[in-house]
Amino acid sequence: MMDFLEAVRLVAAPDVLIAIFASAVYGLVVGSLPGLSATMATALLVPVTFWLSPIAAVATIITASAMAIFSGDIPGCLLRIPGTPASAAYTDEAYALTRKGQAELALGAGLWFSAIGGIVGTLSLVLMAPLLAEMALSFSTFEYFWLAFLGLMCATLVARSSPIKAIASMLLGLLVSCIGMENPAGTPRFTFGIPDLLGGIEPIPALVGVFAVSEVMRAMVTPEPPPLPRRKFGSILANQWMLTKKYQWPMWRGNVIGIIIGVLPGAGADMAAWVSYAMSKRFSKEPEKFGTGHPEGLVEAGASNNASLASGWVPSLLFGIPGDTITAIAIGVLYMKGLNPGPTLFTERASSMYALYLIFILANIIMIPLGIVMIRLAASVLRAPRAAVMPVIMLLCAVGAFATGSNLFSVLLVGVFGCLGFVMERNGYPVAALVLGIVMGTMVEQNFITSLIKSDGDILPFFERPVSGVLAAMTFGALLWPLGIWIWNRMQRRRMAAGDATG
Amino acid sequence: MHLSDRVTGGVLMVLGAAAAIAGSRLPAVPGQEVGPAAFPLLIGSGLVLCGALIAFGIGRSFEVPEEEEAPPGPSSSPWRPGGPRALVPPALLLFYVLAADRLGFLLTGAVMVFVAALALGARPRLAVPMAIVAPLLVHLAFYKLLRVPLPEGLLAAPW
Repeated sequence: MMDFLEAVRLVAAPDVLIAIFASAVYGLVVGSLPGLSATMATALLVPVTFWLSPIAAVATIITASAMAIFSGDIPGCLLRIPGTPASAAYTDEAYALTRKGQAELALGAGLWFSAIGGIVGTLSLVLMAPLLAEMALSFSTFEYFWLAFLGLMCATLVARSSPIKAIASMLLGLLVSCIGMENPAGTPRFTFGIPDLLGGIEPIPALVGVFAVSEVMRAMVTPEPPPLPRRKFGSILANQWMLTKKYQWPMWRGNVIGIIIGVLPGAGADMAAWVSYAMSKRFSKEPEKFGTGHPEGLVEAGASNNASLASGWVPSLLFGIPGDTITAIAIGVLYMKGLNPGPTLFTERASSMYALYLIFILANIIMIPLGIVMIRLAASVLRAPRAAVMPVIMLLCAVGAFATGSNLFSVLLVGVFGCLGFVMERNGYPVAALVLGIVMGTMVEQNFITSLIKSDGDILPFFERPVSGVLAAMTFGALLWPLGIWIWNRMQRRRMAAGDATG
Repeated sequence: MHLSDRVTGGVLMVLGAAAAIAGSRLPAVPGQEVGPAAFPLLIGSGLVLCGALIAFGIGRSFEVPEEEEAPPGPSSSPWRPGGPRALVPPALLLFYVLAADRLGFLLTGAVMVFVAALALGARPRLAVPMAIVAPLLVHLAFYKLLRVPLPEGLLAAPW
């Protein structure tokens, strides 16, 4: 209880409240601009968090990401262009509602169920994290190795492209993490005699490059989105209570799926939305209405992507394994602020953890009034020409990278990773897997080598302990999963061909 | 930069092989079986395997069908002849690295914003004010509020 009161005091500090409000506005604006994703919003925030108190720093990340995931629905609904990848799954549906003259209903559903999803996700974090922390205290390097490895495999599993390309991206990320002398032996590796590479490649410039610079590069070769027609909106929350009652089941299913996908390392809000939308269509009583402007899928997927945000913090806080690309950035900030991830965080810094929960709840509550204002102003915000927004983003990339280490080499890295991200995305290599490899490489190697030294080069102890055995089984399951899907798809296709022939 | 799977797979194979060979040459830690070489060797071999699978098109059959439907929309229109324009942002970042210390942040930033805005199709009427205002605002936020030591160069900021 003392910890809780202390947490209230921490969150009620004026600098934290100002940080929450400012980052909320920032997240809403960035999320609503097509091409600027929630991850990019978070990455560009990092240099700002250097100068904030630990709680305020975490608060900016939580608030900005939650707002950006919601406001990505706005251009999706009004222009049929998703503001963030997390809204892409149900953009067509939302736009169909707008064309039927029900833009308020679609936007309101995005807002209302985003907030609910965020709050339910937070509750899952509150319940799950301490339980798992208890368990994690008994983990040794073997378990940590399998956890990290499982995390990497999950990231390749859920990528919406060829799993082999995803694994290749992940390996590329691991290779990047080998650079420098931060390995168990302290030997400089792959530094090519460049002193700047001795310290290794920092994740932040790599992330800024992959998520922000590559987006500016993409803007250079894609046509500008059309301007938004001005329109008057009616009441935005009017029918939401009715929707909540009518689609109670889909809403809860969306929340649960979002939470599960959020906890899986590497899979984030965009994946949660895709899975939930597909699920909603499959289990709906009226699947034929999907795609014609039916709110059911919006309810489920809108709740799902915001629920995944909060539960993504579970593995991040407990093990330092990012639950999605946003928490991959957040982990770096946590280390910088002395809130090193690990099970002891929940016992020794309990008040900080309570503060984190409170910030999540607070962010999702202020999302509703601020979101309504944002929807009403959307026409003006979206009028900002891309030629004005993108150059500023690029300048912020350069300055932000420079600020992380006060050296120009990071700016160069940002450019290099921008090119890498651009080429990879064009060719179907998922960049999220690359990022996860970079962030987790050191951890995987450290635990792998330490375990091998402990076991004298023997592989058997990796499977002997009960928890590590289970984790190992899950990892191999994840490795073999694509094969299963492939066989299932082939069978499905054969059945469809047979059906065509007879029908 | 849309490349065939053969090219990207081949690049990955070469990269993996190079990493594995260079990794295996790293000096071992005396008295220990596993040292700094183990991890690069493992990753390098993995990359060679993945690269080969991709290059020979084995990964293609694993690809989820919905992914194949996606490209036509975005890939038909954006691939205008202006493809090399994608290289403008990294080139400008390189320019920043080379020029920032000599010209100072304000001038370098102005050049970057101006060129990028033009490349995105802005008229000079928009690009010129942008190039003046944006670096000043960024400088104000980062230099004054966040205390990032941005280089002064030829033109110092008024604060």
